Amino acid sequence: MSVSDDTATQVDDEPAGRRGSLRSRRPAVVAAALVVAAAIVLVLVVTTGGRDEPSAGRAGAAGPVAGGTLTYALAGTQVSLDPAVAATAVTGLIDRNIFDSLVVQTGPATFGPWLATKWAVSGDGRTYTFTLRDGVTFHDGTPFTAEAVKATLDHVVDPATKSAYAASLIAPYEKSRVVDDHVVEVTLKRPFTPFLQALSVPYLGIQSPAALAKPVADYRPVGTGPFSYVSWEKDKRVTLSKNAAYASPPAGASHQGAAYLDGLVFEFVPEDATRYGALTSGQVQAIAGVPPVNAGRLRSLGGFDLTVQETPGLNYNLYLNQTRGPLKDVRVRRALSAAVNVAELVKNIYFGRFPVARNPLSRTTAAYDATAESELASYDLAAAERLLDEAGWKKGPGGYRVKDGRTLALTWPYWAEGNKEQRDVLAEGVQAQAKLAGIKIERPAVDTGAFVSKYLIGGEYDLVDVSFARPTPDVLRFAFASGNTYAKAGGNVALVDSPRIDTWVEEAAETSDPATAAKDYAAVQHEVLRQAYVLPLYTPVQLTAFSAKARGVAFDAQTYPVFHGVWLGA
Amino acid sequence: MPPLARRLTRRLALTLFVLWGAATFAFAGMRLVPGDPARVIAGGVQANATPQVLDAIRAEYGLREPIVVQYALFLGRLLRADLGGSYQLGRPVSQVIGEQIGATLALAAGAAALGFGLAVALATLTAGRPRLRALSRAAEFCSISTPNFWIGILLLAAFSFHLGWFPVIGDDGPAELVLPCAALALPIAGVLAQVTREGLERALDQPFALTARARGATEHRIRVRHALRHAALPVLTLSGWVLGELLAGTVVVETVFARQGLGHVVVAAVRGRDFPVVTGVVVLSALTFSLINIVVDLLYGLADPRIGAAA
Repeated sequence: MSVSDDTATQVDDEPAGRRGSLRSRRPAVVAAALVVAAAIVLVLVVTTGGRDEPSAGRAGAAGPVAGGTLTYALAGTQVSLDPAVAATAVTGLIDRNIFDSLVVQTGPATFGPWLATKWAVSGDGRTYTFTLRDGVTFHDGTPFTAEAVKATLDHVVDPATKSAYAASLIAPYEKSRVVDDHVVEVTLKRPFTPFLQALSVPYLGIQSPAALAKPVADYRPVGTGPFSYVSWEKDKRVTLSKNAAYASPPAGASHQGAAYLDGLVFEFVPEDATRYGALTSGQVQAIAGVPPVNAGRLRSLGGFDLTVQETPGLNYNLYLNQTRGPLKDVRVRRALSAAVNVAELVKNIYFGRFPVARNPLSRTTAAYDATAESELASYDLAAAERLLDEAGWKKGPGGYRVKDGRTLALTWPYWAEGNKEQRDVLAEGVQAQAKLAGIKIERPAVDTGAFVSKYLIGGEYDLVDVSFARPTPDVLRFAFASGNTYAKAGGNVALVDSPRIDTWVEEAAETSDPATAAKDYAAVQHEVLRQAYVLPLYTPVQLTAFSAKARGVAFDAQTYPVFHGVWLGA
Repeated sequence: MPPLARRLTRRLALTLFVLWGAATFAFAGMRLVPGDPARVIAGGVQANATPQVLDAIRAEYGLREPIVVQYALFLGRLLRADLGGSYQLGRPVSQVIGEQIGATLALAAGAAALGFGLAVALATLTAGRPRLRALSRAAEFCSISTPNFWIGILLLAAFSFHLGWFPVIGDDGPAELVLPCAALALPIAGVLAQVTREGLERALDQPFALTARARGATEHRIRVRHALRHAALPVLTLSGWVLGELLAGTVVVETVFARQGLGHVVVAAVRGRDFPVVTGVVVLSALTFSLINIVVDLLYGLADPRIGAAA
């Protein structure tokens, strides 16, 4: 635009006879000062905003009150409400309230009855027989029977469903057989211990067969859960209402019967500042993803409960592609690991709010072995230099190491779309520290298509960073079994190809003996750190905030809030 | 054929050409992006879709056909005004767009009205009045150089979170539109006010303004009835630019204010390689641009009868 840059000349061009033109410059200064003053006032108003939120009194010892609607604001959006189709965490969180599962995860490795009152596993570990709860009906009136379990599982694995996540959880599924109305027998292709954990997640929630029979375009989520689906305004909100007939809470639920809340609304608010402001100004009662920078201030405000939860599953780790270039040599892998002062970086970037990881598994995961970190090549620059010298990489001009005329350069693709939690800043720190040891890390910026086809599938990378939340040690099989490369829908991005690791993770997945599984998983954690296939960085943390008016908030094993027992106080 | 009809026919033919070009560019753009569309459709990087699922997707969407065949099928459908079905949402594109266009139209129309209104009011009040003009100019430069995003956050913090006048979350009443419209309109109003004022000042210097004054017309009447019409041409010319600003701005404003709308849809569709939705929105935008230009063309004639006579 040329409009903006000709102010000065325009003032000069004015005919001298016009009123006040001789004084035209002075007012400009006055005006600018006024505008600046106005801006300062606005900023003051803004920064002092929200302080006057009355701190909700917790004094009332009165019991739970039924009624009211709770609005929960979260970032992210979803493309489908069908838990069997979607892979997004948002869908899992919303669908958790609509669907019950066959079993509930009650601890890191323990499961309790939910829609299945009891179950038996055959001697060969391939057949699960579930006895189902009686007298449960879906929101559409369909009775809950063995037929529904069969329909749900068949729907998940049907290629036409285009399941992005759920099907991968029950990959060994073969078939279901309806024994009678309340007994269903599920057969697997091979023994698979993580099957119960898979059944406990919302992505495998039991759906009404009548709803599944409808065409995809008319899909509505119909389950047996405490809330039933009302509407989904895309990118705006999902509205649920109370299922007054609810009587099938999971084992160990603090509240029986129908939910206290009449309605539950999920608002999609992608902008952090907006979401946070909506909570502090009382427009919503809860938000997910409190910006870490606001977490401290929220505590000091009063009237809000901040929940900090470490995510179970795989930490945010850096994976070292052991099939390519310099990283084929374990000494170079260990040298990279020793060159980076992870603890210092994570502490400084996240103000100590994110726990430093020293194991690929987060410590809230079952079978986490704290002793494995002794195998980690911890920060020791001198040791890193020694290892690289031993491996034949000598310091060359420019500070980077050279061997046979080749520079020690590693490719770490930067996929901006997937960047969050300042991971790009952390990567810059890693880059800078690796440089001190003479390792060059290159970060080409790539879009989703190239990231998947050229790097993740094409394998033209040395380093890839990723986190993966799921409360089961079976994530170790997902991340390190040779058959689980990205191209085969797995998460083995270090391209580990170790028969020992394969044996351990397969045995752990098949055995029914918890002690054997724990021993196997521990061995994997030791081995991947000893081989430096992975450099653990930090444990992702979920920051959720509720208004103090919302009582009875609990969280499940997936770290999702459970709304069934929530009620709104004064 | 009367000249007006001839001109309209020519413009309509041109519109069809523009639509074809836009659709072709969208098609080419979506296909040139590297990567396997089937995988992106299956849920992107995080998705753990098995090869069977990917095959099912390729078969369903005809992704295995040669690119020329895909293009021909695409054009054929477009000719029948069939935008196809969304890959991600499993519903017809026309339905997806129809559902979201209301919110976007309300936002864009409100912002355009506010932007033009504010600009004309500011320009009329401040043209040729140095003190007021300086003040207004400073404000205009502030609004032009501040991104929508930041204006939105400031407005929200002051009027929603602090004062509680306008809710950001809740029912979609007119109150909910005020802040988003203002955030979108302010930068536009800044530019338009400058252009309008310049036009007004030029007009006020013309002999006809002096004549009108000599005949006893009030200052107000001279500005509103006589000069404004002269200032209208450059502003009309900027309408296309305003539309572009609105389209680009809605994406940002919808995010900050957590609103529904086409901006969200198209961003999600581009990321998810939801090709039918992207082409649908592109074709719709091209159509809107063309129609607005035709309307502006006609308005030129109204504002300045000499243009209609010359054409």
